[in-house]
Formats: sequence, C-alpha cells, structure tokens
Amino acid sequence: MSGHNESILREPLITGDNITYAKITDDILGPVENKPNKAWWIGFIFASLGALLWVVAVSYTFWNGIGSWGLNKTVGWAWDITGFVWWVGIGHAGTLISAVLLLFRQNWRNSINRSAEAMTIFAVICAATYVVSHMGRPWLAYWVLPLPNQFGSLWVNFNSPLVWDMFAISTYFSVSLLFWYTGLLPDIATIRDRAVGTRRKIYSIFSFGWSGSVKTWQRFEAVSLILAGISTPLVLSVHTIVSMDFATSVIPGWHTTIFPPYFVAGAIFSGFAMVLTLLLVARKVLGLENYITMFHIESMNKIIILTGSIVGVAYLTEFFIAWYSGSEYEQYAFINRSTGPYWWSYWMMMTCNVISPQLLWFKKIRLSIKATWILSIVVNVGMWFERFVIIVTSLHRDYIPSSWAMFYPTWVDVSVFVGSIGLFFTLFLLFLRVLPSIAIAEVKLLLKSASEQAKLKQIKEGHENKEYVAEYIESLEKFDSVKQEEYAKI
Amino acid sequence: MESNKKYWKGLEEYNNTPDFVKNNKNEFAEPLPIEDVLNEAGLSTVTPRRDFLKALGFGLGAVTLAACQSAPVHKSIPYLVKPEEVTPGIPNYYTSSFNGQSILVKTREGRPIKIEPNPNAGEFNCGTDARAQASVLDLYDVSKLKAPVLKNEETTWAKIDSFVKSELAKAQTGGKKIRLVASTVNSPSTNAVIAQFIAKYPAAKLVQYDAVSYTGIIQANQNSFGKAVLPKYNFDKADLIVSFGADFLGTWISGEEFTAQYTANRNYKSLENKKMSRHIQFESGMSLTGTNADTRVPVKLSEEGPALIALYNAITGQTLPGGALPNNGTADKVIKLAAKELVQNKGKALVVCGSNDVSTQILVNAINAAIGSYGTTIDLDNPCYLYAGNDAEFNGLVAEMGRGEVGAVLFLNSNPVYDTIDGKKFADVLAKVPAKISFADRADETASLCDAIAINHNYLESWGDANAYEGYYSIVQPTINPVFNSRQAEESLLTWADAPVKDYYQFVRSNWETKMLPALGLKWNDVLEKGVVKVAAKPAAAYSFSLSLAAVATSIVNSSKALAKGGDQVELQVYENIPMRDGKNANNAFLQELPDPVSKVTWDNYVALAPKFAEKLKVKEFDVVTVKGGNGYSIDLPVLIQPGQAQGTASIALGYGREKVGKAGNGVGKNAFPFISFVNGTMQYATNVTITPTGGYYELAQTQTHHSFEGRNVIREATFKEYLKNPAAGTGKSEEGHKNYDLWDKYEQPGNSWVMAIDLNACTGCGSCIVACNVENNIPVVGRDEVRRRREMHWIRIDRYYSYETPTGDVTREKEIAKLEDLDHVSVVHQPMLCQHCDHAPCETVCPVLATVHSSDGLNHMAYNRCVGTRYCANNCPYKVRRFNWFNYWNDSRFDNYLNNEFTQLVLNPDVTTRSRGVMEKCSMCIQRIQGGKLKAKIEKRPLKDGDIKMACQEACSANAIIFGDANDPNSEVSKALRSERIYYVLEEINVKPGIGYMTKIRNTDTTVQA
Repeated sequence: MSGHNESILREPLITGDNITYAKITDDILGPVENKPNKAWWIGFIFASLGALLWVVAVSYTFWNGIGSWGLNKTVGWAWDITGFVWWVGIGHAGTLISAVLLLFRQNWRNSINRSAEAMTIFAVICAATYVVSHMGRPWLAYWVLPLPNQFGSLWVNFNSPLVWDMFAISTYFSVSLLFWYTGLLPDIATIRDRAVGTRRKIYSIFSFGWSGSVKTWQRFEAVSLILAGISTPLVLSVHTIVSMDFATSVIPGWHTTIFPPYFVAGAIFSGFAMVLTLLLVARKVLGLENYITMFHIESMNKIIILTGSIVGVAYLTEFFIAWYSGSEYEQYAFINRSTGPYWWSYWMMMTCNVISPQLLWFKKIRLSIKATWILSIVVNVGMWFERFVIIVTSLHRDYIPSSWAMFYPTWVDVSVFVGSIGLFFTLFLLFLRVLPSIAIAEVKLLLKSASEQAKLKQIKEGHENKEYVAEYIESLEKFDSVKQEEYAKI
Repeated sequence: MESNKKYWKGLEEYNNTPDFVKNNKNEFAEPLPIEDVLNEAGLSTVTPRRDFLKALGFGLGAVTLAACQSAPVHKSIPYLVKPEEVTPGIPNYYTSSFNGQSILVKTREGRPIKIEPNPNAGEFNCGTDARAQASVLDLYDVSKLKAPVLKNEETTWAKIDSFVKSELAKAQTGGKKIRLVASTVNSPSTNAVIAQFIAKYPAAKLVQYDAVSYTGIIQANQNSFGKAVLPKYNFDKADLIVSFGADFLGTWISGEEFTAQYTANRNYKSLENKKMSRHIQFESGMSLTGTNADTRVPVKLSEEGPALIALYNAITGQTLPGGALPNNGTADKVIKLAAKELVQNKGKALVVCGSNDVSTQILVNAINAAIGSYGTTIDLDNPCYLYAGNDAEFNGLVAEMGRGEVGAVLFLNSNPVYDTIDGKKFADVLAKVPAKISFADRADETASLCDAIAINHNYLESWGDANAYEGYYSIVQPTINPVFNSRQAEESLLTWADAPVKDYYQFVRSNWETKMLPALGLKWNDVLEKGVVKVAAKPAAAYSFSLSLAAVATSIVNSSKALAKGGDQVELQVYENIPMRDGKNANNAFLQELPDPVSKVTWDNYVALAPKFAEKLKVKEFDVVTVKGGNGYSIDLPVLIQPGQAQGTASIALGYGREKVGKAGNGVGKNAFPFISFVNGTMQYATNVTITPTGGYYELAQTQTHHSFEGRNVIREATFKEYLKNPAAGTGKSEEGHKNYDLWDKYEQPGNSWVMAIDLNACTGCGSCIVACNVENNIPVVGRDEVRRRREMHWIRIDRYYSYETPTGDVTREKEIAKLEDLDHVSVVHQPMLCQHCDHAPCETVCPVLATVHSSDGLNHMAYNRCVGTRYCANNCPYKVRRFNWFNYWNDSRFDNYLNNEFTQLVLNPDVTTRSRGVMEKCSMCIQRIQGGKLKAKIEKRPLKDGDIKMACQEACSANAIIFGDANDPNSEVSKALRSERIYYVLEEINVKPGIGYMTKIRNTDTTVQA
C-alpha cells in the first residue's frame, strides 16, 4: 500500500494509535451494542418531555383551531412558517455533506456524514409537521397533492409556490432517506454480524442481505455516486423553492429576487451550525474524538464563516436594493425592520448571523470547542430570527397602514416550536442508540491512508520531505486527541 | 310437468313432522341465541368458536352499518299546507318602520332576516343606519323574556291583566297619579291608544323623555318663535354649514337623513357641476361630523357659548358681552372668517348647535335668523317629531314619585333606572310607587324593579305607525308571528282601558281609515304596500328674530364660567356614539362589534383625551383612570388618545355599562349617564370631572391601531380649489401616462364585469355598511378578546386616517407626527376597504388548492369547501381584506354572544353558507344578490338592467358613496362614475388591477373670503 501514501501535508482524519479496523468497529458500535449511559438518559428524558409538549401543543391546536396561536388578520404566518423554514434550513447541511462533499472527494466528510444525514431527515420531519399543523383544516392536507379524486376532478394550483414546496420537501425527504439508508447498509450488516438472537434477526432484515462481496461493494459505490448526483441539485433547489414562498408574493420584504441564493447560503450556514451543536456533544459523550477531530471542527467553522458572510452580504444587498428601487413600500419595509417595533429581532439576527460568526476568523476561537459550540447555537438562534424577521416584520406592516398589527405568540406557538426541538432530539438520540453515528465502512476506508498512525509510519520510514514533516507536526498541535509527545521525539 | 317435481331437504320435511312445520316458519331452523349472547351471563361465558364467528360477523356488520351514516341528518319538512305568499327560496319584502325611518323587511320562509331602506320613501329614503341594520338580530335575542312576568315569576296574560287593572283602579280611586313614562311617542295610533287609556284613567299622564334630550332646541324655538318644535333642517340647501358640537351626520336628530342631504352637495355628481358645500365644525370631542368637516376647530365645551356670541357679534355687528376667546386664537380667527362667509351665503347657510341649553339655542336661532336660514335651510312649519321629550317634566315625575303621589307607573320603551341623570335615585323613588309595570321585552334595569313586565313585541312582530315629520307617516307591520308569549304594549293598554277595540291591528287600521286615508284617497292596502304616506308639505315661512339677547348672553356666559373651573377640573362631554347610541340596543352583538367610526374601538367606552392633554395628566393610552363628577359619581375607564380632542376636555360615550340587558351587553363599558347635569331646566351633557390614574391598564379592542397613512398613495386627496383647476388633481394621473406591462395574457371578458366605485367625498365613515354586510353575509361576531387579537371578521371595514395640518402642509407620517407640537388640527379621511376583486389577484396565484379563483364576470371567488387554510392568500393580499375563521365562531361556546343557539341562528341568511373553522373568507360582492338578480331577469325574460342588483353595503349607505354595477355596460352608473377624473385605484402601482375605483377626497378648505 505504500504506493498509495497520502501527502504528508494533509492533516490526519483519524487520530490515535493502535487504531485497527476492529477498534473502529468497536468504538463506533459502542453506543449501539451497550446499555445507554447516564448522559444519554438525561438527554433522552428532556428530549422526550419536549416531544410530549409538542404532542400536547399540536393536539390542542387541532382540537381548538389555529386561533389558539397568536396569528391575526394581518400576520397570517409567524412561528409556524418560521419554524418550518428553520428546520428545512437545518436539514441542508446533511445533504451538502453527504452529496456535494462526496462529489468533491472531500474525505473528511466520511466521519460526519452519517449524523448529518440523520439530522437532515429528522429536521425535515419537524419541518413537515409544521406544513400540516399550520393549516386551518389539517385533515384535508392531502388536498395539496395532485391526487386523482372524485371531487369533480379538482386539481392543485401549479402556480402556487406552496405546491412547489410540497414537491420540493417530499422529494427532498425521499431522496435523503434513500441516500442515508443506502449508506447504512454495510454498517447495519456489521451490526448484524456481531449481534445474536432477535437483534440479529432485525438487523438482518434491515441489512437487505448485504454480503460484503466485491460486487456488492462496487454496486454500493455506484449507487452512492448516483444518489449523490441526484441529491446535489436538491441542496440548491429545496431552499430555493422554500424562498419562493416569499419571493413570488407581492409583499414588500418578501418580493425579492435575491432570496434563492440567500436562503441556500443561510440554510447551509444553519445546517453546519446544527451539525456542530450535535457532534461536539456526541463526540465527547460517545468517545469519538479520534474520528471527529479538530480538523473536522475547524473545517466546518470555515464553512460557517463563508456562508455567514454570504448571508451578511445578502442582508446589506437587500437594504441597498430597497433604497435603489425607489419603491416607498420596499424602503419602509426595511427601515421598519431595523427601526420599527420589531427592531430587536432584526438586530438579534444581525448580531447572531453576521457579527458573531466573524469571530471564527480567529484561529483560537475556531479551535476552541466551547466557543464553537456556543457560536453554533448562536448561529441557529440568529437563523431563527432571520426567518422571523422576514415573515413577521414584512407582514405586520405591509401596504395599507390601517391593517398594521403586532404579532404576539401564545403558549401554544412557543410550545409547538420548543416541542419540535424536543421531537428532533428524541429522534436523534434514538438514532444514536440503534444505528452507528459514524459511517463505519467509510471511516475504515481512511485508516490506511489518512490516519495519524499511517502518517506517523510514513514519517518514520523517513522518505518524506523534512520541511513538510515539520509543517505536518505543527498542524497537529491543534488536535486535542493527538499525543503530542510522540512527535517531540522526531 | 317436470318442474312440479318436488325435492325435499331431509326426512323431516318429507315426513312433515309437527316440529318441522313449526320451525320452518322461521328464517333459521333453530332460534339464534342472541339473547343468551347479549345478556350478561352470555357475555361472560367462554365463547365457543361458532359464537365467536357469529359475534364477529354481527360486530362487523353493525359497525359497517353504523359507519354508513356520515353526518347527522337534518330533516327539512315541506309545508303541509303551503302559505299562499311563501315560496321556499324566494324572499318576501314587507314595508315597516324603524325609529320613524321607513324600511323594507326581507323575510325568508317567514323569518325576517334583513332590513333595507324603503325606496318608496322619496326624500326620506336615506339608507339605513347601523342600528336599523342590526335591529333584526334583536328579534332573535335569547336574553328576552319568553312570557309576561308578575312579581318575578312567569305568568299568564290573564293574571297580568287582572293585576294591572286592579292596581290602576286602586290608584285612580285612591287619588293617586298614574304615569306612563315613554321615550318620544310619534306614532299617531299609539297616541290614540294613550288617549283612550287616559280617558279611562283620568289620573294618567304621558311623560315623555329622551335618553339624549332635545328639549333645549324645542324650548328655544318656543321662546324665539312661539313654536315648541324640533325644526326640519335642510342641509341640502346649505352651501355653508357651521356646526357647534352638533354631530348631525351621526347621532344628532336624524343622522341618515342629514347625511343624504349633506352629501348631495359634496358627492361626485355635485362636484361634476363644480359645486361643493363648505362645512366648518367647532367641537370638543372628535365626532363623526367633525371628521368630515372641511375646517374643524377644537373648542372647549366652555368656549362653545363664547364662540357663538362671537359669531353673533361678528355677523350682526352687535356687541353682546362674553364673546371673547382669549385662549383659543384659532377659533377666534375661524369665527371671524365664518361670520364673513355666512353673511356672504345669506339664505344658503345654516348654523347648528348640539347644545341642549335653551339660551344657547336661542342665540343660535338669532344667528340663523340673521343669516336668513328660516324658510330655506330651517323649516319650522314642517317640524320633526322624532324627539319630544321634556326634561323638566321628567324631573317633575321624579319629584312626584318621591313625594309618594304616584300610584302606578308604566314604562313604555324607556329604562329610566339606566338612562337618566340619576338612575339610583330613580330606583329609590320607584320603590315608593305601589304599582310598577314595564313593557320591556327583557328584565332590564327598570323592568327588573317592576311588579309586572308585560313583555312587548319586537317591532318586527308589531303593528303600528310613525310620524317622523309633519306630513310624513310610515307604517309598521309585523313580518313574523310573535315568537314568544308577548303582547303588543298598545294592546295591553287597550285591554286595561277596556277599549271597545282591543285588537291593535284593527285599531291601527281603523285609525288610518278614519283619520287619514279618506282625505288622501288611499286604501289601507296601498299604505301597506308603499309603507309611507306623505301629505303635501306646508310652505316653510321665514321667521325673524326680534328678542333681546342680553339675558341669554348672560346665561351663556355664566354656564361657560361654571364649566371653565380650571385647576384639576376637566371639562367632560358625554355623548352618544354611533354604535351604541343611548344603549337601548346594547345587547346587539353586531352593534357592540361595530367599531366606533372615529376611534375604531369596539365593545367598550373610554375616556377620550387629546395627546398633549394626556401627557399633562401623566396618563398614557389604555391607562385606567378614575373619572369623578361633581355629584360624587365615579367610574374607572381606560384612556383613549384622541387626536383632535380639545385640550382640557374629555369625552365619554353614553350607552355603555348596562347591567341587565343580556348576555352580549351586560357589563360592557361603564355607564356615563350619571354625569349628565340638570342646569337651567334642561339636561346638560357637559360637566366638570376630575381624572386620576388608578395605575391599572386595560387594552381597548380596536380594529385599527395605526392611524396615519404614511404619505402613501392609498389615500389621494385634493382641495376644492385644486379640483376646480384640474379635476384629476391628486389622483397621480400624469399627462403622458404610464406604460404597464403584464405578466398575464389578456382575456376577453364578455358578459358582465362587476366593479365598484367609491366616492371618498361622500363616505362619512358611519359604518352602517359594515353592519349591513354582517347581516347579509352571516359574518360572525367574535367578541372583545378576538378583536383585541386583531381578528374581527368584517368583510368591509372603514379605514380612518388622521393627518395633521401644519403651515407647511399635511403631515401624515408616524415619525414626523411624533415630532409635532400642535396635534389639535387634524384632518381625517374615511376609506371603505373591502375585497378589490383584482383582475390580477395576488391571492389567486398562491392558493395551493385553487380555493380562490377568478370568475368570468370579474369576481374573485372563494370556495370555502376547497379551502385548507394555509392563509397564504391573506398574507399576499395587499389590501388585507381576507378574514380567516380562527375558530368555529358560530358554534363554539367560548364565543357566546352571537349565534350559539338555534334560536339566534334563525337570523342567518339562508343564501349564504356559514363558514367552518380553518377557512378563509372575504367580500364576495354579495354574489348571492348577483345570482338572484340574474335569475330574476332570466325568469322575466329580459336583460339585466343597471340597478337591478345592489350590494348590501350600497343599499344601506345613506350617502350613496358606493356605486356597484357592470363595467361592460358603458351606460351603467358605475361606468359613468369610473370615468370621473377623480377616480384612482388603491395600490394601482403594483398592477394587481383592482376592480374598485376610489374618487379622491376633496376638501373645501380654500375660502373665498380673505381673513
């Protein structure tokens, strides 16, 4: 294998010594094959209480009507669609990591794609619940599907962005699920092979008879690539279409051509933040520091700076265009955002999304796990406010001043949102218990070429350029999972 | 023969054993053990396999059958004997009158469901006000009594009669007085009944009082001209109107009629003839009339008298003392200007005053005489009979009762415990009367203290007549059989008087047939058909004023000084507002939810304060304050900041704070009647109070919370001078035009194209269209809390915007207004806003399920059954006219003020479906009326004519501000109106192609006189 050595300049993707294929399997399947620890139980209790709150709040809404939310004649959407867009946005990182980074051969994605994809699926589920629950008559939600029917062959309105939305979200969900599940097959087979009794039977069914033959692997690779190809446009299309819910309207503050790219950037921004929020904890609790390394964290932070800056530019562009358009309604909408009754939400958004992510330019912050974790939450708070600002502050003061109104959430609004977070974490924690949170097969792929021990061996073989080696060793300083003293000797 | 071969199924059949014969009759040879299975023992036994299968089969079958019934079945039963005049689905119209106003009552299958103005009423056909429109709901009020009540127990009419007769006889023989207390009675038949009653009981006397009194004007006319009448005012003959606190477009005497007269000189037809009247208003509280004035000057209540003296002096050149306005330079200036203009417009001018003070009204008479109003704009010879109450007489009654001289008192259409100067005292003295009888339809504040409640019919169940003006009579006829065990008050009186004719129908008919009809050569049926009878009007003579005004001026100055106490004393005005008026209809949910035309507040009254004055009192909007009068009466009410309110004054609406009116009206607001004071022989509606904050906070339910139009093109206005130069002034139309590009292809629109034109110069903002629309379209009443959440369901609303006059032009933007120091000079515009039926409707493109679509005749349809309730259409509506059913308002116990019982549901218009929760709704352009009109034309085999179809809002409008019709017919009224240069479309620039054209608001602010 020495002919396939990776450049010593590349930072290792797996750290630690004595990492073997067996150890990888053991490490990653630890949470799946053992009883849950205390941390998991605490998390699960909180999350499931949240999920219960969601059930209560949504049932209350269904029983009493949408009137139990704080909406009014002027503001017809608020926390509901804010929550919907927020969740769809969060889902985006998963697809980007699994599909786009795969196509670009970014091997570092191998350790994080599984969790990110799971997150995508759960986030889209949360988003989809909003689609149904915000309807006045949710029991008729299927009417937005172009189903053959006996209502006098009523059809849907293909002009309506909500119909596009329905297509976008359902396509996105099915493709993501398929992609995720395909990737899971070899890992489920691994669990199957190690399990006994009923567990073995169950995993056996879900592994679809994976045999691990060369032909299977070859087909697996081919399918993964094809699915990556299908998913890639979805990264762009889903949030583009979500943004069209607003962009195709006539409401000042919504009617903007900048929305599609701006929404996509925002979605990736929030998605990566959510991946960080989840994995920084999971890494520690599940002891996966060797597989999700500082390199991964730093890379994701870099993406956050980039997308955060794109979003910032978009905010400024909106303001410029509002002024440049000469349209008084447009101008008022933006002045009202920043100085009107909801000024605090606008500045909350600006601070969280534009100003605070700039701190990541500092390497120290970028490499601090605590700072990163806090910033990842700040970003998602900011992204929630971004959607709130777009939806509520545009609606609450649109064209006719007599109808201007304020929106005040009720306990049900808040509970549905907080509950959806509970639902999300419940699903995610269950996922950690039954499926490997890191793609075992894909990580194993990296062991021989991109792991720290492989590189150390390379160095010890002494064929590498001394300067490069020095640079490599220097780059290892940031890793919290590397024994630095090993390198002091060299 | 082969077929006769008989097969047998077993030996039993072959042998035909008796057992077999017996069992063969049944379907199953062996009896099924159903009883065994279903009784308790059977259920607890171990079920054998076959029983299990049976039970399974039965269960499945039963569940299937039970599941087949998808919804509860409401049976509609056809008429067994069909009444001749009732055809299901076809409405009948009957003439009647409401408060002297001639109306048509629309009934469907025997239920009155809608009130329309009577087109036969000629000059008195002035639309209908909100009260008339809403009155149909009162018929179906569940808070009414269902049977007469004697000593707090339901009873029979026989018992009531014997009780009342014996009590009346006792009073009569005991030398005690009998008093019939009524609000003004102008019905000739009722008066004849009362005459018969008095003939039987000579101790009886009719005491008339009005909750809001016009005694001042009546007595002033007696004093000045020897005629104790309320004159007929002709605003249509006035080119210049100067009003001192008279809300003549709203609550003063006869608002609808004055609105029709007033707008005749200001609407688009008048403007096309280059004619527009001018209107100057001096007032303290912002009234509906004040919002329509060309020039409005806030004056304190104490300045009203001096202002009138100043005006008199300026017109006549005399020097009555007390005409100085040292603290109100603007008023002083405008008075001088007005005087010049009045003199210039001699014979075409009118001065009115809302005061109930005799001296003040004498002075107004002098001014009117000086400007030649009598015989032109004021007609004393054909007076108005709507109000004839006498304040002093009422006070005399209280004294009599207090002295124990009254043996029996009867209350007809009156509730003095609630709506008089001192209800508490009245209740106290009432206790001293041995026999107390009320004709109220519910146990209201007065009736609940009475011994007997002889419940009266609703007017829609009654016979009767009205005589609103000299020579103008209208009929009241029943449109439904009495729903409850009520009896018409007149019939009760006739019964108690042992009159020969007790049946009131016979009585009314013979009264007309003997006294009125022969002279006119009319038959009874003609009257029923037309609803009105007019006797030729007498010529209106000119009257001159020749009395000395010295004493009058002294009295005015003294009253003014008494009011202007200064210190912590605030001048308080209590007034009637448009929805509640005197509070008689406080249980009407439509009226409670009708926003006040000026403040847009529903379901409450409040203390209105000027912004700067509130700052001075250190109170903010919605702070609860204690208002305490000189007589010690105090109430806690929230503050409303009212631009245009005179500094140092406060206003509180009457008609609130009812305690015993019913579910909807009980405890709404606070009672302000006790703030009335009795000065110089009349009730005065201005008094002194102190206002102190309580520290509480109470949010009023307003339908509009932003009050400036931010300089937007939504409102376009011009002055009359600009209009004369360029009729298109202010519309934003430019000479070169503007090229529009469409995203959509143009479609041919053959047939009809329904559109509307709304004249902002005619609309006074009164809101009767809102109630008319509510009744016509079954619009839910949502209650105070839901209005606070900004969820009222009105399909048509009236947007009211304030802008502030400054030397450099009007300020309309919130942020600039915040910087202004002078917030007194407000100009107001009212804009009816409803679905614009856009040709490029933004709502239609975004609906995912095609629940809102365009029709071929230009309407934006809403298919409730298809709506899933995403609310995207409402978000995307630039006019924000779509309304969402947040709850099942018409069938949800939390909204228990309107339709939550089967009885009140009878008011629903069967042509319009009620909407379920989760469904969007909005103005349908009364599509049921359009379809009905088309159908009628089709049945009559004729093309549809312009004017065949009228919208509910349009029909109710006294000002004719709403014109509806077919844009494809170039000769239709609406087409002509839309060709007016004043037409503009709201938010034209976003190219949604709205179907409703608005005509610019024109203000006649330029004066021809140089000050």
